[in-house]
Amino acid sequence: MLQAYWYIAKMRILTTIAYRFEVFAAVGSQMIIMLAAVYLWKTAYSGDTSSTTMQLNQIVTYTIISILLGSVFICDVQDTIYHKIREGQIAVDLYRPIMLLGSYLADDLGTMMSSVVNKVLPLFVLASLLFEVPLPDSFTSFLLFVPSCVLSYAILWLLSAIVGLVAFWVMELGNMGMVKDSIVRILSGSIVPLWFFPSSVQTVSQFLPFQYTYQTPLAIYIGEISPLDALTAMGIQFVWIAALYALLYVVWSKAKKKTLIQGG
Amino acid sequence: MVTTVRHYYSVAVCYARMAIQRQLEYPLFLVSWLLMIPIAYFSGLWVLKILTDRFQSLNGWDFSQLAFIYSLGQFSHGLLVVFFITTWYIDGMVIQGEFDRLLLRPMNVFFQLVVSYVNFIGLVDLIPGTILFIYASHLVSFDWSLANILKLILIVIGGMLIRAALFICLSSVSFWTKRSSSLIGFTLNLLERTTMYPLSIYPFVLQMIFTFLIPIGFISFYPASEFLGQSSGFHIPFSMALWTPLVGIVFFVISQLTFNFGMKKYESAGS
Repeated sequence: MLQAYWYIAKMRILTTIAYRFEVFAAVGSQMIIMLAAVYLWKTAYSGDTSSTTMQLNQIVTYTIISILLGSVFICDVQDTIYHKIREGQIAVDLYRPIMLLGSYLADDLGTMMSSVVNKVLPLFVLASLLFEVPLPDSFTSFLLFVPSCVLSYAILWLLSAIVGLVAFWVMELGNMGMVKDSIVRILSGSIVPLWFFPSSVQTVSQFLPFQYTYQTPLAIYIGEISPLDALTAMGIQFVWIAALYALLYVVWSKAKKKTLIQGG
Repeated sequence: MVTTVRHYYSVAVCYARMAIQRQLEYPLFLVSWLLMIPIAYFSGLWVLKILTDRFQSLNGWDFSQLAFIYSLGQFSHGLLVVFFITTWYIDGMVIQGEFDRLLLRPMNVFFQLVVSYVNFIGLVDLIPGTILFIYASHLVSFDWSLANILKLILIVIGGMLIRAALFICLSSVSFWTKRSSSLIGFTLNLLERTTMYPLSIYPFVLQMIFTFLIPIGFISFYPASEFLGQSSGFHIPFSMALWTPLVGIVFFVISQLTFNFGMKKYESAGS
């Protein structure tokens, strides 16, 4: 059974490798974002730094790794669902003797695997040459960082799948994923860590899933939180995964009954 | 001559009417943009607010001045999205053979391409930009004199031309490669990151590139520096109200040449 999903992932790896030009442009895009973010922080740190205890090199590492994570956390599922519904292809996909969402996950995992090679690697090298090698705080923090990233990805993917399924009800609404994406971008701490935010925002965001997607693994990586706190944070990540999985299950079982096929 | 202009005008109007009707067909789609665009804008602004709250200023630019430069850049972006959005999708037209249709008609190809879709929904992009600009110009006590308004209009139009030229040049690449969508994404990112912050935060080499090679600095950074009396690092004679439109026109002409040159290489991919 797993073979089918592995096959989908493998096909996806092959298709993403086929478009080399796209890869260059994507690396270029991420490079611009990285340059802008790093110089923004450098400029900020040349001003008044009395209000933060964080070192510039820590925040630079945080930013670089955040961008690397961004190019590897592939959540195309929301666009896939939206387009398949619009074009009516979802009907064909529903016929297949494998789980629909499972096959979309396999797709995303395949893209993710090729991204590690053709996006993360070049970006890591470029960042190391231009700025500094973004090393983890310690070996322990790296060991904790990896599983935390896996949990982060699970949260992000579940959120995307839930938002994508909204298209089953309101097809004309366009892609609500973009709204979700810009909220995630800010509240996940992927651009500016939440500890720079006003304390009221920090309090609220503790009860939202977003900061457990980027901020948690990144804070672990730069050693901003202790190993014990890291384990607690990963516990919270688990809780969110369970909650979102339950929600996805409910939404999906309702969506299947609502399926409206557009076009013939 | 007059009849030609009148003919082109009537075609443009006809297309615009169709485009608007087409977009009004999906009113809920408009709602999602009304939600999406302000969230994206204000989240960008929020980041700047948080940074300036913590670090007081970015290279001598305080929050109100950063809001000014950001919103000034958004005007020309909004206009680009309304009038030139078709230039983002040339590669799709090339692959699906739709481009052939434009070549068969006895009319300027670029004109047809641009007027064929007035992105009326793009006006939504201008709303948060305008609100932000009014707020920012109040904070920096911008002088709303007639001369300044005129300058502003010239700068926004010049900025739009620079942006459009950049997209036209890059999407002309699709005549050779059949693909340019990822380049468009790249350019959008580039433009956002360079018009939103003062160029002076970047190293000297990049400042030179964004002044002489890809003249992005003229869209918002140099004009904003002039309005706010901030140092831009370069001494540029004459007003930006002159330079931005001039650079815009020159760059736009270059983009037309690139487009026409690319079109000669065009071979239909449609079946």
